Amino acid sequence: MTTPISKVVVVGRDAPLWLAAATIRRALKPSGVMVEAVELPSALAPSDVHATLPALEALHNQLRIDEAALLRATRGAFSLGQNFVDATGRTPAFLHPYGAFGTAIDGKDFFAYWLKARRYGLGVALEDFSLTAAAARQGRLLIPDDESEIYGRSDYGYHLPAIPYAGVLKAAAVHDGVTAHLARSVDVALAENGDIAALQIDGDRRVEGELFIDATGPEGLLIGAALGVGRDDWRAHLPADRILTTSGPAFAPVPVYAELRAWDGGWAGVYPSQARSHVVQAYNSTLCGDEDALRGAVSTTGINLADAVVRASDPGRRESAWSRNCVAIGAASCVFDPIHSVDLHAVQLGLIHLLGCFPASGSFAAQRAEYNRITRLAFERVRDFQSAYYVLNRYGGTFWSHARDADVSPALAHGIATFRSRGEVAPWEEESFAPDSWRALFIGHGLAPDSYLPIIDRTAPDEMKAQFRRMLGFVKEHVLKQPTHDEYLGRISGRAGG
Amino acid sequence: MLMQANGMAAPLKVVIVGGGTAGWMCAAALARLLALTDYDITLIESDEIGTVGVGEATLPHIKTFNDMLGIDEAQFMRETQATFKLGIEFVGWDRPGGRYIHPFGTFGEPWAGVDFQHHWARAVQAGQDAGPLQDYSYAVAACRAEAFEFPNEDLKSIRSTYAYAYHFDAGLYANFLRRWTTVRGVKRIEGQVVDVAQNAGTGHVEALTLKSGAVIAGDLFVDCSGFRSLLLGHAMGVAWQDWSEWLPCDRALAVPSARASAFTPYTRSTAQAGGWIWRIPLQHRTGNGHVFSSRFCDEELARDTLMQALDGPALAEPRLLRFQAGRRAKAWEGNVVAIGLASGFLEPLESTSIFLIQAAATDLANLMPANGAIDPRLAAEFNRLFEIHYDRTRDFLMLHYAANARHGEPLWDHVRAVQLPDSLAHKIALFEESAAAPDYKLGLFSRDSWLAVLVGQGVLPRGYNRLADRIPMPDLEAKLRDLKARIVTNAATMTPHEEFIASYCSGVAAAASDTVYAA
Repeated sequence: MTTPISKVVVVGRDAPLWLAAATIRRALKPSGVMVEAVELPSALAPSDVHATLPALEALHNQLRIDEAALLRATRGAFSLGQNFVDATGRTPAFLHPYGAFGTAIDGKDFFAYWLKARRYGLGVALEDFSLTAAAARQGRLLIPDDESEIYGRSDYGYHLPAIPYAGVLKAAAVHDGVTAHLARSVDVALAENGDIAALQIDGDRRVEGELFIDATGPEGLLIGAALGVGRDDWRAHLPADRILTTSGPAFAPVPVYAELRAWDGGWAGVYPSQARSHVVQAYNSTLCGDEDALRGAVSTTGINLADAVVRASDPGRRESAWSRNCVAIGAASCVFDPIHSVDLHAVQLGLIHLLGCFPASGSFAAQRAEYNRITRLAFERVRDFQSAYYVLNRYGGTFWSHARDADVSPALAHGIATFRSRGEVAPWEEESFAPDSWRALFIGHGLAPDSYLPIIDRTAPDEMKAQFRRMLGFVKEHVLKQPTHDEYLGRISGRAGG
Repeated sequence: MLMQANGMAAPLKVVIVGGGTAGWMCAAALARLLALTDYDITLIESDEIGTVGVGEATLPHIKTFNDMLGIDEAQFMRETQATFKLGIEFVGWDRPGGRYIHPFGTFGEPWAGVDFQHHWARAVQAGQDAGPLQDYSYAVAACRAEAFEFPNEDLKSIRSTYAYAYHFDAGLYANFLRRWTTVRGVKRIEGQVVDVAQNAGTGHVEALTLKSGAVIAGDLFVDCSGFRSLLLGHAMGVAWQDWSEWLPCDRALAVPSARASAFTPYTRSTAQAGGWIWRIPLQHRTGNGHVFSSRFCDEELARDTLMQALDGPALAEPRLLRFQAGRRAKAWEGNVVAIGLASGFLEPLESTSIFLIQAAATDLANLMPANGAIDPRLAAEFNRLFEIHYDRTRDFLMLHYAANARHGEPLWDHVRAVQLPDSLAHKIALFEESAAAPDYKLGLFSRDSWLAVLVGQGVLPRGYNRLADRIPMPDLEAKLRDLKARIVTNAATMTPHEEFIASYCSGVAAAASDTVYAA
C-alpha cells in the first residue's frame, strides 16, 4: 500500500486508550484521518490515581481540555513535586520539585554556586532556592508569572483520580469525532503478509484499519500476543515486583505534593486529591507478603486505608514499540516502575513521537525505525532516572539493600560518576528530566560531589553571597503572594475560597 | 583572603604544547574562564615549527567564543583581515553544474507547530509552484546579493533568521589571541619539545625537555602539537581510528591569490574530479586550496586544477599538506588532553576545525581537574563529548559525498558506493520518506544545516509530516508567496559586503587596537 493512512484503530482501555485516540484524532483530523477506538473493560479500581508530570498540561491544551473543568470533573488536585521521606528517620527527607533551583549567576547555572557555597559552610538546603518547593511546603500553589519566570521555571503536575479522568478523555475523544466501540474481548486477524488486518470484537463485529495502536496495557494484545514482539526485561534494574493500590479519606487541607515514604518493606506513596488520599505501595513479593505490605503502608502513612488492589509490577521494554503496522503505546510498549509516576508521561512520549513519525505514506520503514530508535532512548533515560532512585538509596531494610545492588546501565553509571566527580549532570539526547530533577535526586540521596564547576570561581564571592540573599528573599516574598492550594481549588470549583 | 577553589592545595600546573590556532584558543579560553590563582597556565611554542593554518573559514560559534573573551569585533576583524561569512556555496557537488548554498540561517519558519520543510515539501508534492527550498532562506538571499548586515534583534523579523561567522587569516588570529592571552597571565615559552618524561607506573607525562635543555614540569598537559600528536599519539600511544575509506581526501594544496572583484560573504567549495577547491575571500587576499585524494588524483593534476581555478594572480607557490581523516580513540588519556589536529582531523569542507577546538577548550574548562588529582571520571565525560562531536560531524561531511550524481568520476563513484555508517544511512532514508531532518541537541549540525545539504545534494522527500495538512492549501500558497516576497524585499536593502567591511573595519580609529592589551 502506498496511499497515506486514513484510518487508525486504537484498542485498549482507560486513560492510555483515550489519550491516544483523542491526540491522534485532534492532530490529524485536518489530514482526514479517522480514528476508531475499541474499548476493553476497565482495569481501574476506585483508588487508582494518575500522578502526572508537568508536560501533560501542554497535551491537555492541544486537546482543548480546560484545567478547571478537568479538576472539577475528576476532583483532582495540583502537585508541585514529590517529597521523599525516610520513614525510619535516619536520613533527611528531600523534595523533587517541578521547578528550577535558583537563578543563573554570571550566565552560569545556580547549582554549581550552591555546591561551592555549601563547601564553605552554607547551611541552606537546595530546595530553599526553589519557588516550587517553598510553595509546596507552605501548601500554596505557584502560578508562574513574569517575575517567577525570570527567577526560574515553575511547573506543576496533577493528581487525577483515574476513573473520572478516563471519562474526561473519552468525552474529549468522542467530541472530536472518534468512533467508540465497546468490547468484552478482541481477536486479532492477520493479513497474509503478517500485518494486522482487522480486530474481531466479541466474536462478531470486525473493525478494519491501516494502522493499529495497541494501548491494551502490559500484555500487549496486538504487539505481543498477536505479533510476537518480545521484551527487554528490566527487573534486574528495579527491585519491586508488586504494587498495592489503596486509598483513605482526603486530607484537609489537600497537600500540594506527593509524598513517598520508604520503610523496610518498600515505599508507600501518598497522592492527595480532593476525593481521597490515594496510596501506592511498592514492594518485593519474595521479601514481603501482600498482607504485610498493606500493614506497612497503613503504619507508614498513618492513613486508614481501604479498597486495596494488588497487581504485579514487571518492568521492561518492548523490543520494538512499533512493529509492522502496529504501534504500542503506554504499558504495551514499556512498563515502568511506579516510582516518580511516569506512566502517563510514557504514553505522552509515545504519542508525541508517533505524531512526529506518523506515516507520510503507506511505506514507512524509516519512520518506524526512527520511532523505535527515539522511544528506546527516551524510555531508557526515564528508566535510568527511576533506577537512580533505587541504587543510590541509603534506607534500611532488605528491600533497600537489594535495591542498592540492582543493575546499573552504563549510561547511568557514567551519569553518577560525572556527578560524583564534578557535580554536573551529563547531557543526553531524549532526556525527560531536567538537570534540576537529577540534582534533586542525587543531592537528596546524599551524593557529595568531589568538586564543582571551576569556571564559577571567576565570580567574586561577595557577588555570589549577595545573589544568594536576593534569591532567598524573593522566594520568601513571592510564595506568600500565592493562593493556598485549597483557596485555588475552591476558586476553580466555583466555591468560596477556604 | 585568597582561597584555592575546590579545596586545591596548590595551583594546578597546565602545560599547553603548541602555539597554533588550537593552542592559543585553548589558552585564551582557560585564561578567561578559570581563576588563575588555581590554574597556572604555560604555553610552549616554537617559531621553528610552522602551523597548518588552513582553517581560515569558521562557523558562527566563533562569535560566541570571541564574545566570551570580550573581544572587540571590529578590531579583531581589522587585525585578522577578516570578512563576514553567511554560509558556503557548493558548486558541482550534487552534479556537474549544480550549485546550492548551505546558509547559517533557517529555512522559512514553523507554521502551525510544524517545521517549515514539511510545508514546502507538501506544496511541491501537490504540484504547486513553490520553487526551490533555497528561496526561503534570508541568508541565502544575502549571499546571492553579496550583501551583509547584522542580524536583527527582533526575533519576529525575517532579518533575524541567521547568524554569521568570519573568514580570517588563522595565523593572524593565533597572533591576536597570543597577545590577548599573554597579558592575562598565561606564560609563553619559546622552545621545541625534544623529550617527554613519563611516570613509569602511571604512564602520566611528568615533564617536557626543550631543545634549550629547560625542563617544564606539569600536572596536566594539553597536546596542541597538530598532526604530530606528540603527547597523546606518541607518548601515550592512543590509537588512531582511520576514516579514510569514508572520507578519502588526504592532501591539500593551499595558495593565496590577489583579491578578486567578487567579494563574497560566503566560502565557495567547487567539486573537482579528484576532490574540491575552496575559495575564501579575506580583506587583503583570497585563500584558495585544493583538497584531493591521492588515490584518485596525482599532485601535478591537483596543482594545475587549482592554479586554473584562481580568479586572481597567485601570491605564492602552492603549499602541500598531508592528512588522513579520522580521530584518536580518546582525546583525554591519563593527564594528557589533545585538542585540535592532535586529536583528529576532518577535511575543511564545513569549516569545522576551529569549532572542534572551541568545543574541546570549553569542555576542558568545565572538566578541568580540581583537588590536584587527575580524575578519570572527568576524562570519561570529555571523551564522550569528543566522540559525539567528531562522529556527528563526520556523518554530515559524508553526506556531501554520499549523495552525488557525478557519475563516471572514480572518486565520486567510490564515495557514492561506500557503505555508510548506519547513523547516516538512516538519516537519509528518513528524510526521503518523510522530510524529517536530523534534530539533536549535542554537537554539530543543526536541522537547517542538514536540510540545506540534503536538499542541495538532491535528496528529495517523497512525503511530509501530515500535521502540515492543518493549513488549507490555498492559505499555504499565500504564506509561501508572502515569505518569499519578504525575503526578496528585505534582502534588497542590505549593504554590499565590501562596503560594509570597509566602513565597519576602518570606521574606528586605528589607535583603538591598544585595547586588546587592556585588562
